[in-house]
Amino acid sequence: MSRFSFLSSDRAVGLLFIAPFVVTALVFMVYPIAEAIRMAFFNYNPLRPDLVSYAGMSNFEFIFSDPLFWSSFGQGTVWTLLSILFQTVFGVGIALLLHRKLFGMAIFRGMLLFPYIVPTVVIALIWRWIFNPEIGVVNYGLLSVGLIGEPIYWLSTPTMAMASTIMLNVWKYTPFVVICVLARLQSVPLELYDAAKVDGAGAFRRFLDVTLPQLREVLIVVIVFRTIWTFNKFEEIYLLTKGGPGTSTFNLAVYSFEQSMASLRLGVGAATGVVMMIMLMIGSVVYLRVAGFGNEEKEA
Amino acid sequence: MDVKLQGINKSFGNVSILEDVNLLFPSRKFVTLLGPSGCGKTTLLRMIAGLEEVSAGTILFGGREVNKLAPRDRNIAMVFQSYALYPQMTVRRNLGYGLRVRKTPPAEIDDAVERVARILEIDHLLDRKPAQLSGGQRQRVALGRAMVRKPDIFLMDEPLSNLDAKLRVTMRGELRRFHLDLNATTVYVTHDQLEAMTMSDLIAVMHKGRVQQFGTPEDVYSRPANLFVAGFIGSPPMNFLDGAIDLGRFKVREAALPLPPLASGVAPGLDAVIGVRPQDLSLVDTAGSDALTGKVSLVELLGSEKLIEVQVSDRKRISVQVHAATQVALGEKVHVRFSAQSTHVFDKRTEQSLLAEAAIGEARQ
Repeated sequence: MSRFSFLSSDRAVGLLFIAPFVVTALVFMVYPIAEAIRMAFFNYNPLRPDLVSYAGMSNFEFIFSDPLFWSSFGQGTVWTLLSILFQTVFGVGIALLLHRKLFGMAIFRGMLLFPYIVPTVVIALIWRWIFNPEIGVVNYGLLSVGLIGEPIYWLSTPTMAMASTIMLNVWKYTPFVVICVLARLQSVPLELYDAAKVDGAGAFRRFLDVTLPQLREVLIVVIVFRTIWTFNKFEEIYLLTKGGPGTSTFNLAVYSFEQSMASLRLGVGAATGVVMMIMLMIGSVVYLRVAGFGNEEKEA
Repeated sequence: MDVKLQGINKSFGNVSILEDVNLLFPSRKFVTLLGPSGCGKTTLLRMIAGLEEVSAGTILFGGREVNKLAPRDRNIAMVFQSYALYPQMTVRRNLGYGLRVRKTPPAEIDDAVERVARILEIDHLLDRKPAQLSGGQRQRVALGRAMVRKPDIFLMDEPLSNLDAKLRVTMRGELRRFHLDLNATTVYVTHDQLEAMTMSDLIAVMHKGRVQQFGTPEDVYSRPANLFVAGFIGSPPMNFLDGAIDLGRFKVREAALPLPPLASGVAPGLDAVIGVRPQDLSLVDTAGSDALTGKVSLVELLGSEKLIEVQVSDRKRISVQVHAATQVALGEKVHVRFSAQSTHVFDKRTEQSLLAEAAIGEARQ
């Protein structure tokens, strides 16, 4: 077979077609991940690039013995779990409301996207004003109706700061859950509800036995995605509290950033990223298994 | 339990779906609501089920008004076109769902489910989920879910339309048998006249939100009350010819076709339409006043019969069903004979039957 015939074969043309994707993926996905993993095994100070040295496992040893890493992990887990819990509950609830056929519902559905569209930096700055203890509108409102006797320091006590970052995350990303759930709700066969009514099921039973099972798969997917995104989330926390007060709202993303940029230990930051990636991969696989995602199709 | 519908009206906004429906379904009868899509038959069924509100009129079950009752309080069961089985539940749980919701003791539920599953021959499928069943099996589970609660009234919304043709024929017979076993009043919705004819005790033919005729399958087939019923019931469909009534005969072109006795008061010269089924026409050798002459334009073999289309004028073809052995060639000139007793006559303007016996039938109602 001559060389010419390979170049003009279907196989060569096929390779040509997938080449752009492969190149893009290599440059923008595989290379950065590989580079991050590589860097996790080196001592790298961006101000002294001449002093790069192989570190072996010492970056990992460093983070695993760093109490701040573990408290960031704990706080990040709390922030993720609570954010996801509220987003899911509110998301399903709001989707059920928006699913009703009422006059003007289209307007509400449109407004729903608003928090999702506005850039995080804008939201975070506005929230900082809103939650400002002296001049913020939240304290002003609560004080003037007499619900509180003195200003609440929303962002400067550890518990309240954590609650505020969770609130921001819930506020911003609940619409994502709503949209996914609403889309699924609209494709639930109406005859199922009729059948349940004839069978004698009340509204709550119908929700449990018809609506929820139909939402199961979409909720599994939404929860996996939201968990990954939230666990890795950096900008909301950093813009709202900078991880503070103290380190009380650090999560692993903020920890990684602080190690890389403030302490100039890029290797440690990279090692944190690698640990996060492994945690999320294991977590996602276990969760999908436990939730039984895709089992229905396999049975069918 | 009998079902009585009195002056039922239904509208969605300005759109009227049902107008002045008055029907009495006697206890334990198999009653079919038959009509083309959009005639309101499914809406009427859903109103009987309580899934749709009544705009005006009264629905009575055994003399008791049920207008305001929720579906669960009507002791009805319904089989849906898509079967509407709960996908996450096994067949066993699907069958027992209605009883579970009603807090029946588990042992009783098990007994009822096993009994129904045996009758329907689905006892080997009890632990499967709907996605693992064939269309026919799903259909049986849907039936079983309706039967398990021993309802007073059994409602079915085109339950056979998702099955293949062969299975549909088998299920027709089975549905009829279950109906007899169950001792419940069955209300069945279909657009398939053959289903309606084969299974029903009574048929309500519906069109444009109104009941066109309510009677036995024999009634609606042999004595259609109006042009719509005549054209809708029967396959191949009835032939219609426009003409005028003159001295007890029907003038159409050169022929004067014989007519059965007409209702009193039919004015001479009235514009009318006659309808004759292809099965009631015959080919004859000689022309005559009771026959129309034309050329054969199409011959279709149906199996034991042949359907022959005869061009009797530029714009009019009539079809004649003859024995398959009859030899007819395309383009051949034939004479089609009409007989008085199988001719239906309708007023062209009101579209109502002009036959004496139809008038009697209407008075009886």
